[in-house]
Amino acid sequence: MAIDEAIFREVQRSGGPPTVRLYGWLSPAVTIGHFQHIDREIDLDACRKGGVTVVRRPTGGKAVYHDDDLTYAVIAADNTSLFSPTILETYRVISQCLVRGLHKLGVEAILAAEGREPGKESVMESGMGTVKGSEDASCFSVPSLHELLVKGRKICGSAQMRSRGVFLQQGSLLMSFDPEKTYDVTLPHREPRARQVQALREKVTSLYDHLPRFVTREDVCKSLIEAFQTGWQVSLAEGSLTPEEETLKEHLLKTKYCDLVKEGNT
Amino acid sequence: MKVFPDDLLYSREHVWVRVEGDLATVGITDLAQERLGEVHSIELPEIDSEVERDEPFGAIEAAKGTVELISPLTGNVINVNEDLIDDIGIVNSDPHDTGWMVVVEINDLDELDDLLDSRGYHDFILQEVEGE
Repeated sequence: MAIDEAIFREVQRSGGPPTVRLYGWLSPAVTIGHFQHIDREIDLDACRKGGVTVVRRPTGGKAVYHDDDLTYAVIAADNTSLFSPTILETYRVISQCLVRGLHKLGVEAILAAEGREPGKESVMESGMGTVKGSEDASCFSVPSLHELLVKGRKICGSAQMRSRGVFLQQGSLLMSFDPEKTYDVTLPHREPRARQVQALREKVTSLYDHLPRFVTREDVCKSLIEAFQTGWQVSLAEGSLTPEEETLKEHLLKTKYCDLVKEGNT
Repeated sequence: MKVFPDDLLYSREHVWVRVEGDLATVGITDLAQERLGEVHSIELPEIDSEVERDEPFGAIEAAKGTVELISPLTGNVINVNEDLIDDIGIVNSDPHDTGWMVVVEINDLDELDDLLDSRGYHDFILQEVEGE
């Protein structure tokens, strides 16, 4: 999170080309959206007992449980030939690349044609029938417009932040999915547990459920990078943080992105 | 075609300002709310806090995105629109009037010179679109 925001702030300050980051987590973690109420939406005791780190994202959206996922971040100026100042249009442009990358791996992902309506139960028609969502804290409880589905089930959740003509979009592509753990760490705990876990299982899917052959995490990264390059007609070069980004990252780690499970940090 | 009232000034961060003496009422433009989509919640500064030109003074959460609100002026917040707590939808439905966000006592009236009138803002938007 600190690296994503450090790059975002440096692009705001001094410009620069679009950045794509693909990363994982050293230990299980929950990220919560910028506006979420941690006490109402995260079971901190469950996180503490399970050794799950909790970090607030700079982006909006709902809680995401990161364990066996591939997290992505795209950071860029929003008034270029590639990206638009409109949130949902940027979603579409990025999601199309993700879809292309998954297709190359043999996974038939599509973009959700309808999204959740906040404050109300959302309904989405899909190949698997009608999927109903609600105000659950988990990001994966219901898809939003232009998010990725495979056979009617959500496989990737994304969120965005914008400021001064620059956007940061973060997302979690599920390599595998653990509905029990997702239920345990997010609130509210509706009962019965087994039925709620089953509902999550029916709404959410993961890459390992659909890959026609064994692929490694590196294969997935490679396919996504190729898809971004093809989709945007650019050549992405590997890079490292500039000294300014490194300094800002360290500052943000200390001041903003501390583990919220630890006492006193909430 | 969007209409941007002539009695307002506009920042390049799509924030409008209505000036009365040394007080500035601040909100987001109709174009900004359209780009955001349906607004869900908002964070605004507390009364008596300081805001600084070109720095964030709050944030808006819309469908799948959070946007920082960039202050067009430096000054002291003397009022916050509490109606937004009851009905955040007015940011979308009436952005240039009842959807106002804060009133700021302006420190330096010269900062107003950097803002655009409605025609200038209209031209700025056209340039922005052409740049895409």
